[in-house]
Amino acid sequence: MNWRKLPLKNLTRRPGRTAALMLLTAFLALSVFGGSVVVGSLQSGLNSLEARLGADVIVMPAEAESKVSFKNLLLQGTAGAFYMDASALQRVQEVEGVAQAAPQTFLASLKADCCAVKVQIIGIDPEADFTVKPWIEQSYSRALDDMEVVVGCRVNADVGEDLRIYDLNTHVTARLAETGTGFDTAVYCNMDTMNTLLKAAEEKGVTHKITTDGDDMISAVYVRVADGYDVGKVCNALNGHVRKATAVRAKTMLTGVSDSLAGVSHTVTLLIGAVWLLAIVILLIAYAMMINERRREFAVLRLLGASRKALAALMLKEAALCSLLGGALGVALAAAVVFPFTTLIETKLGLPYLTPNPATVLTLAAVTVLLTLLIGALASAWAAFRLSRSDPGTTLREGA
Amino acid sequence: MKENAIMNKKIIPAMVLVVLGLVIAIGSQTFLGPCVHEDGSFGACHWAGRALLGVSLLLTAEALLSAILERARFGLCLASALTSALGFLMPGGLIDICKMDTMRCRMVMQPAMRVLFGLALIVSVAGLLKNKGKRGAA
Repeated sequence: MNWRKLPLKNLTRRPGRTAALMLLTAFLALSVFGGSVVVGSLQSGLNSLEARLGADVIVMPAEAESKVSFKNLLLQGTAGAFYMDASALQRVQEVEGVAQAAPQTFLASLKADCCAVKVQIIGIDPEADFTVKPWIEQSYSRALDDMEVVVGCRVNADVGEDLRIYDLNTHVTARLAETGTGFDTAVYCNMDTMNTLLKAAEEKGVTHKITTDGDDMISAVYVRVADGYDVGKVCNALNGHVRKATAVRAKTMLTGVSDSLAGVSHTVTLLIGAVWLLAIVILLIAYAMMINERRREFAVLRLLGASRKALAALMLKEAALCSLLGGALGVALAAAVVFPFTTLIETKLGLPYLTPNPATVLTLAAVTVLLTLLIGALASAWAAFRLSRSDPGTTLREGA
Repeated sequence: MKENAIMNKKIIPAMVLVVLGLVIAIGSQTFLGPCVHEDGSFGACHWAGRALLGVSLLLTAEALLSAILERARFGLCLASALTSALGFLMPGGLIDICKMDTMRCRMVMQPAMRVLFGLALIVSVAGLLKNKGKRGAA
């Protein structure tokens, strides 16, 4: 009898029992790895949104806040359009404590030729902008010329291609890095291009409820508060000074996202905890039942000269092999569910979602497999301890 | 008795493939299907969905025959593996689908089909390994 090969032989000789134990540990690993990747992606998404927003206060038309369209635009890339008079920018700049104010104009395309859904077009003022420009500069160092656009990573148009919007050709000059937010599905251009597109949209019969000329309309003003000024007080001053507009603190907007994220993380953590508790109890019962079923087998091994320590090691090796294979299977299954469906998960959660980098994912996978290995070993250790206390002679005489 | 048990074990991959083939066939036309356009028009992904239906039914037929015809099992497992690879490459590879990441065909159909056909490929290879002794018997 080859003692070293015995654990593997024991496992292969009873495929049903081995498969059941492996599936149980696989389920454990699946819940931990899958849950951790989802929670980690949500956290990365929030960090990315915080970094991308870059403004202290956002001034938008009152109707935008009532429709919650601005928040949806930021988080999910829901195409939306709302406008206020461009004089709002001047009013914003008049308020004490405003260091920088950058206007943006939004337009929802009818149907970009890349796809059958609306694409959000965002017009920026390259001279005043401090929010999108630094991000664009990572991919494109030149200033945006007329009819040139920069696309988010989820807009399927390659650099050098023409993107047709409202029957006008725009030239794609760069693609932006992934943020996990609504910015990934947007198209960026300068204000002149935006005004041309707004007029083209009007000609196509798209009404923007614009009361004055298109050149005098903006959708939002991003504000950076000067050092030494209280953001809350500046926000209140903006609310009082700019008519038909609402000033919202970026932090307040993010607090809502952060709260939702905390809620999702809490639920996922609770679920993982419940799965682990249940799985540990089931594993303990499974190993106890297995030991009971194999009492005669172990008694014979003892009578053949195997020490108690050797039997305990045999049990531990079997459990470790089972847990290792089950853990790897669980991680593979979770990866097959979580990674291909990233966009679907992001859309359903309605929260910024950015998959962690490969090194973090690999670390998470390794930790998960180690954890399942540890749990399997602990559950079998208790069974091995019980086994070491029974007398082989009595076991065989009892005929158990 | 023992021969029966061995026989049953050898057709397990074929039975798994039958289930997978049916799930893909039904899924590609329903809950895992392509985009539905409001104006009733069809995009490229619609035809990718139709092709997936055909490939999945072919996979189901191959798996059923593999379960029945013992002497041809190795060859049919090989055919299933190739059919699975074809299905894996079809949405977005051999047949275009919508370009925007947030479209249903890209969010649901393509990843689901790749996972299911990938699984079918693994099971087919397992079937090949289980039946390699039957090679040349047909």
